[in-house]
Amino acid sequence: MGLVASRGGKQKKGNVTSEQEEEEQPLQAVLVADSFNRRFFPISKDQPRALLPLGNVAMIDYTLEFLTSTGVQETFVFCCWMSNKIKDHLLKSKWCRPTSPNVVHIITSDLYRSLGDVLRDVDAKNLVRNDFILVYGDVVSNIDVSQALQEHRHRRKVDKNISVMTMVFKESSPGHKSRCEEDDVIVAMDSKSKRVLHYQKTQGLKKLQFPMNIFQHGSDEFEIRHDLLDCHISICSPQVAELFTDNFDYQTRNDFVRGILVNEEILGNQIHLYVTQDGYGARVSNLQMYDSVSSDMVRRWVYPLTPEANFTDQQGQGCTHSRHNVYRGAEVSLGHGSQMEENVLIGRDTSIGANCHISNSVIGNNCTIGDNVVLDRAHMWNNVHISSNVEIHQSVVCDGAVVKEAVRLNKQCVLAYNVVIGPNLSLPEGTVVSMHHPEEEEEDDDDEFLSDDQEVGHSKDKTRQKAFNPAEVGPEGKGYIWKASMNDTEDEELAQCLWGLVLNPDPESDSESEASEESQDRSRSVSPEIDDVNAFQLEVLGTLQRGLEENIVCDNLVLEINSLKYAYNITLKEVMQILTRVVLEYPFQQQGTQLTTLQYTGSLLPLLKTWSPVFKNYIKRAQDHLDCLSAVEELFLEQDTHQTAMVKVLMKMYQLEILEEEAILKWFSTGATNDKSRQLRKNQGLQKFIQWLKEAEDESSEEGE
Amino acid sequence: MELQAVLMAAGGGSRMMDLTYNTPKPLLPVGNKPLIWYPLNLLERVGFEEVIVITTKEVQKMISTDPKVKLDVKMKLDLVCIQEDADMGTADALRHIQQKVKTDVLVVSCDLITDAALHEVVDLFRAHNATLSMLMSKAHEFTETVPGQKGKKKTGEQRDFVGVDGTGKRLLFMANEADLDEGVVIRKSIMRKHPRMHIKTGLVDAHLYCLKKSVVDFLADNKSISSIRGELVPYLVRKQFSKSTNSPKVIDETHQNLKKNDSNISSRDEELLHLTQERSCWNDHRGDMSDAYHGGRLRCYVHIMDEGICYRVNTLAAYIEANRLAPKLFDEPAVHPSAVVSERCLIGADSIIGASCQISDKTSIKRSTIGVSTTVREKVKVTNSIIMHGVTIEEGCNIQGSVICSNAVIGRGADIKYCLVGSAQRIEPDGEHTTASPHLMSKACSA
Repeated sequence: MGLVASRGGKQKKGNVTSEQEEEEQPLQAVLVADSFNRRFFPISKDQPRALLPLGNVAMIDYTLEFLTSTGVQETFVFCCWMSNKIKDHLLKSKWCRPTSPNVVHIITSDLYRSLGDVLRDVDAKNLVRNDFILVYGDVVSNIDVSQALQEHRHRRKVDKNISVMTMVFKESSPGHKSRCEEDDVIVAMDSKSKRVLHYQKTQGLKKLQFPMNIFQHGSDEFEIRHDLLDCHISICSPQVAELFTDNFDYQTRNDFVRGILVNEEILGNQIHLYVTQDGYGARVSNLQMYDSVSSDMVRRWVYPLTPEANFTDQQGQGCTHSRHNVYRGAEVSLGHGSQMEENVLIGRDTSIGANCHISNSVIGNNCTIGDNVVLDRAHMWNNVHISSNVEIHQSVVCDGAVVKEAVRLNKQCVLAYNVVIGPNLSLPEGTVVSMHHPEEEEEDDDDEFLSDDQEVGHSKDKTRQKAFNPAEVGPEGKGYIWKASMNDTEDEELAQCLWGLVLNPDPESDSESEASEESQDRSRSVSPEIDDVNAFQLEVLGTLQRGLEENIVCDNLVLEINSLKYAYNITLKEVMQILTRVVLEYPFQQQGTQLTTLQYTGSLLPLLKTWSPVFKNYIKRAQDHLDCLSAVEELFLEQDTHQTAMVKVLMKMYQLEILEEEAILKWFSTGATNDKSRQLRKNQGLQKFIQWLKEAEDESSEEGE
Repeated sequence: MELQAVLMAAGGGSRMMDLTYNTPKPLLPVGNKPLIWYPLNLLERVGFEEVIVITTKEVQKMISTDPKVKLDVKMKLDLVCIQEDADMGTADALRHIQQKVKTDVLVVSCDLITDAALHEVVDLFRAHNATLSMLMSKAHEFTETVPGQKGKKKTGEQRDFVGVDGTGKRLLFMANEADLDEGVVIRKSIMRKHPRMHIKTGLVDAHLYCLKKSVVDFLADNKSISSIRGELVPYLVRKQFSKSTNSPKVIDETHQNLKKNDSNISSRDEELLHLTQERSCWNDHRGDMSDAYHGGRLRCYVHIMDEGICYRVNTLAAYIEANRLAPKLFDEPAVHPSAVVSERCLIGADSIIGASCQISDKTSIKRSTIGVSTTVREKVKVTNSIIMHGVTIEEGCNIQGSVICSNAVIGRGADIKYCLVGSAQRIEPDGEHTTASPHLMSKACSA
């Protein structure tokens, strides 16, 4: 008997006949008991995900209990991978008893490869006649969706079937542990109509972009929500199945939602959302989620679906609940000095040795645990044998696994079915051990069909021949190590990562982006628009850079700079000043400002030689020389640590015949306008250079005579 | 003194040139009081004793000489004139008076008519030790027909997108539709801190800001910012979420400067406030375990009025609407005691008659405002109109839904519907004018 009374049977009588008819029709649900991905590999090689135990109850039972309690009277369970196992399980369960208020139909096919296939089949078989609830077989929830259903029906009545789907979300702030990082979504909605305008997974995004057209629907209040947890429960109109048939490229619900939102204007279909504040709803989409949902279950967040409720109504499944959330099944024996600290669930016929310390863990049926064992956040399924002196932290140990003496499982280890580990071994963090050889799976990859749940048994003979590595699994160990990065064919690394993403993404990367954003911001705010001169300077720099990289002839550089000059409306004088500045700053630009004077001149002088034709093109008249010199002076006044380099620069320019000696002498004698430039001229090197120039001039004039 | 009030009254009223052609915007009569009276009155009501008024020479001269624009306020007005042709923005003006700013400031625009509870804005400013707090209101639909405009107003105007957090107080995002070519872009880190953001588009900014003194000092250092609304506020809103190490250095530095300056009251509290915040278990958000305000130093808040009057008189439509509503804001007799009103005329309760008016027999005045020293002759019908000061309306005129500017003369028997009559114009007798372009009418007469 279900603990939660079925609400479906007692719907109030409508006064209008048509309404009555609509209400009287049994509420239907489509339960997809396949994940169509391999996130639970290698565990799901032996057992489909829907049957994995969570709090010692198969996950699909939670989903069915949720559907039944919310008033569903007819459920279609679609299975693909290991459909026989699921079928057997369901046939034995209370759902297939004649008294069940929820009639379960099991539909199996090996051809389903995605949610899309399932819904197309729903449409082909014409199974649904009215609004239905769509869930996966790994959803754990106690949300009462009747409210959402009512809203959905109301919208459909008012808006003539425009709304095709109502997605159910649970409010939970970012950082909440039952939020699945991969499923992290951002939703833009219309505050009043609760209509979804934009739906996007945020994973890997730093900036969230909302197109303008979503804000043009006449409403003046929108909400952008990041505090929503997708429960993967959707209330669908019958059109949903048709839409999947019409659009063969829709594979997942995500495809569907995006497609509907993008084509909203064409097709006129809308999606709404329902947010619950106090219900619980989560999909076990990876082991991280498994861990958090399991611990939420033990902590009674999914009330009334609690471990002691035995809602599956199975013989001998009952357990007692005592304080600190300690649950004990029947015939549990606990050795002397063992402690069950808090949030512990122990299945029936399990025996625990002496001086054990158990906290936040779930232990299945028929397990034996030795002495001095420490379990923290361990999830042990049925028939597990743990020897003495074992330590297990935040790991999953599947059915039939054996952990020998003095083994330590660090965080996020997985021991799949029937693995033997130890003795005397410490498994590093994130180790996955399975009886299946990883290469089995690799061979499998040729198949483009990427379901959790594919038959792989044909290569078993080959696997047998491969020996277990004692260094990896211990001297008596049995099993192969699975490495997370093994799968090269998959683009997304995380597809192989059982545990999913770490909950707290690197805050560094975030701040970095902020910092860069910041600098952009800054430059923007200080000069709202880059003026032409600056833009020109940047362009010249770019031109010269390209010139160096691609070995462009100086004549062509001159051509380019000339065209830039016209584009930005720059005077010839400015061109020269900017050119001089760009060239002289070039080493700083390329190698940073911390250059020593020696390094600076070392890299600058060859550049001057390379670009001297460019300079010569612009520096012709006497005034040009002076302008160029004043630009040089200006730069070295700014870079006062490198003033000693100035002589070398002037010398080089003189040697390259860019600058004439008269101009330099004239600049030296007359150009000083303020204290600083006077100070500059007192530089010893410069004075010597001038002296030398003067002498050279004298000499040459003498020679001339 | 916690806050210094600054009134910005130097704007030209560029969006209602027809009205401000002769009268500067701050002195336009609304309910027979100059526009500037309303913000001054607002400040006086909440207890300000002194206000810095930034205005032009022209306005200053008119305030001191013209009896018609006598400001009925007891506050001490500190008039600061700026050059009209300098094209100074509001931020420029604030920078201009930096020397006078000793504490945090409350900046009000002269075209604000509101019955808002000012303390709501100031309380936000105090409670969160905010850098900026401002007032916004739901935008009003203007119902009256506007002279010279045919049909309904186009809704082509570009909307402001204002993002507030779940409480509706913290200002998270601000942008104009025109700048959002790429759509609304929000950093994920902001969404993580404030997971629920309301984006509102139907709001008007009342142009009333509480600003920290450090912001004024910051303005002095950053000359490129010239408008409070256009540049400073978006800048501050954006800066809230940048790393404290990097950007608000400018603001931080000025904070530092403040600390050195012992004479300042708010700066002395600064350190204590910081300590209190550190030691307190209070937090401004739920969800994650980080510090209150996520360690940010800059905070911008907004109070959004749900109901009540809040108009910015910057268009003709707003001006007409304000005239209709203004009488509700103060309780003075509708008919000024010095007005001479014939007993045999009909004056609706929703009309205002200014001082020393002369209203003759058999006239009917409904939903209208009649300015000071206006003469209305016999058998005149005035409905839904605004008559400014010193207007003469001859016998038998019919004026409906129009705005008649000061010193105009309406000839006998003229029929004026939905028109704007410029200052000192003469309307020929027996003429009939309907929805004429107001601009044309003023030109025609000045020519």
